[in-house]
Amino acid sequence: MIRRALLLALALLAPAAASAADLSADALLRSHLWREVRAAPVGRRPKVGLVLSAGSLRGTAHVGVIKVLQDAGFPIDVVAGTSMGAVVGAFYAGGIPVDKMWEIASELRLDTGSNFSGSRLISLILFDSLLSSANTAKLVRKYLDDKRFDQMKKPFACVSMDVYTGEAIIFRNGDVATAVRASMNLPGIFRPLEYRHRYLVDGGVVDYIPVDVARLLGAQWIIASDTENDYTASRPKSVLDSLEQVIDIRGSYLSREQRKQANFLIRPPVGDIGMFDAKRIPEAMERGVIEASRDLDAAEESLILASLPLLSKDWTPAQAAAR
Amino acid sequence: MRRALLLAAALAAAAPVPARAWRLFGEPSDGKIRPVQALNDADKPAAVIAALTPQFLQTLRGTDLRQAYVLLGDNYDRLGRPDEALGYYQVGVSLFPKNVDLLTRLGGLLHRNGLDARAKVFFERALVYEPRHWGAHLGLAEIDRRFGFLDRSADHYEIALEAPEVVSRASVWRDYAEVLRRMREEKTAELALRKSLTLEPNSADARVDLAFVRRDQGDYQEALVQLDAAIGLGAGVGAVRAKALFLLEDGRLAEAAAAAREVLGEVPGDAVGEWTLARVALARGRPADAARALTAVRDASEDGFAARAAQVLLAQVKALEAAPKGGASR
Repeated sequence: MIRRALLLALALLAPAAASAADLSADALLRSHLWREVRAAPVGRRPKVGLVLSAGSLRGTAHVGVIKVLQDAGFPIDVVAGTSMGAVVGAFYAGGIPVDKMWEIASELRLDTGSNFSGSRLISLILFDSLLSSANTAKLVRKYLDDKRFDQMKKPFACVSMDVYTGEAIIFRNGDVATAVRASMNLPGIFRPLEYRHRYLVDGGVVDYIPVDVARLLGAQWIIASDTENDYTASRPKSVLDSLEQVIDIRGSYLSREQRKQANFLIRPPVGDIGMFDAKRIPEAMERGVIEASRDLDAAEESLILASLPLLSKDWTPAQAAAR
Repeated sequence: MRRALLLAAALAAAAPVPARAWRLFGEPSDGKIRPVQALNDADKPAAVIAALTPQFLQTLRGTDLRQAYVLLGDNYDRLGRPDEALGYYQVGVSLFPKNVDLLTRLGGLLHRNGLDARAKVFFERALVYEPRHWGAHLGLAEIDRRFGFLDRSADHYEIALEAPEVVSRASVWRDYAEVLRRMREEKTAELALRKSLTLEPNSADARVDLAFVRRDQGDYQEALVQLDAAIGLGAGVGAVRAKALFLLEDGRLAEAAAAAREVLGEVPGDAVGEWTLARVALARGRPADAARALTAVRDASEDGFAARAAQVLLAQVKALEAAPKGGASR
């Protein structure tokens, strides 16, 4: 009797029995072709670009997305990012391991990227005294030293905007930390950064999802992680909320076309996380993992289909010999 | 009394695992639940539910009352009525919020019904009170695996597999191996699968899993041996499909074609069978044959991945077919 009761408890407590390997034709063919895509150098598959959107602290979800792509052996050849996407992208392209990135993001606070504090905020509102984003550069330098773009492990670019001309400024050379700081320099809160005779603010205003920038880096197939705000979810309750809302709405309009240009889009559901909601960073990263895991098969299939014309060039004796 | 002694002995035997699930008589109670427990042990779920009337529940206290909610939840679940089981577990958890039996049962039920985010909360709460509860670790291992947190999942499996109740379960070793394989820790995955096969030597599924791990390690010879063993154990046409593709990857074209034909003999128009024949035809410089096979894949598998892949490759093959003709005419 006891034995039966124990067995019953085992059955009730235990999750479902081991799932058998998926031996369907679609799954097997995907696995078979994915092996070949993963092992193929650029040329036998398209050059793959990873694009990380703006999105302030919501953008930490990119870390979760990268973790899943890396676990799956997804080939990434170039990286482009805006604002928080630039921070995460710089770390990734600079060769910081994803576990370390997770750790760094988990420790982010409001003042990590700025001199944000209660008194500074009062000063901002009462005396129109903008905050400094110098801490962003400090954070990047802490892990990447004074790396320049040409010293990164993967080609990387990020976007900022010149407030005098409204131009999108794409950084592809020079000091990475300064460029990343310029890319994540929220207008209305942070003082514009004067750099290379430009007056720079956050790139999210003009290029929320920098798919075009990845193309400039030579990407032929682009996977983008988009951490857009769900501005319909709540009404702004403060000056900062209102500012964020306006920037996000504008960013959303501008990025519609960019989204269509990406070959594959991962959209972690982080729209309800506020731009200064540092307590929810771990949750944002987890949502990135969950969403990317859910989309992984489809992403692999998309890249396989894009790679087939190149891969198949080696599948006939004549073509293989010609190559 | 005899059962209680046996139970105590059983718990003592499982020394590393803290006594929890079966401490029915470990705390003060009136013992009124014992006859109902006997019905449960005799596998009479309807009788258990009939016995646990609201009036009877009002007379219970302490561990008896707690066990009543466990029994109600368990037996509604056994009868295939998860909604009612859920209700009783939830009431039980609200009354006994630190009870790991109720917490893990609630988590398990939610997990089995696909409500993983909610299930996770209860498993994690159970671990607060009993950090090495194997049921909670197993539940979290499954959930993290499904969500894509592979490293966390592996950690939970490792703790669960230390429990005597779990260490002899071949299916858990296989699940653990699958996580390791996805983490590309092939050697450890292989060891876990070999452990699983020690426990269930005739498991075709474990042989198939091992074949995939060996293929990941580049050992096609051993992978094919394992696939053949799985096929011998009744693994079905899926394993033959895998064999055709493995042979293709290993460059053994004639054998790949033979395996593909075997698949097509069982499932006419099978996408993997036709794809393999197409690839073999291409490698042998027969694009027309390849085009025929790819057309079959495209037309047979509707909008699936295989059909889309066949469509792309077919376009390439047709271009290839056209090219020599153009060259000849010049």
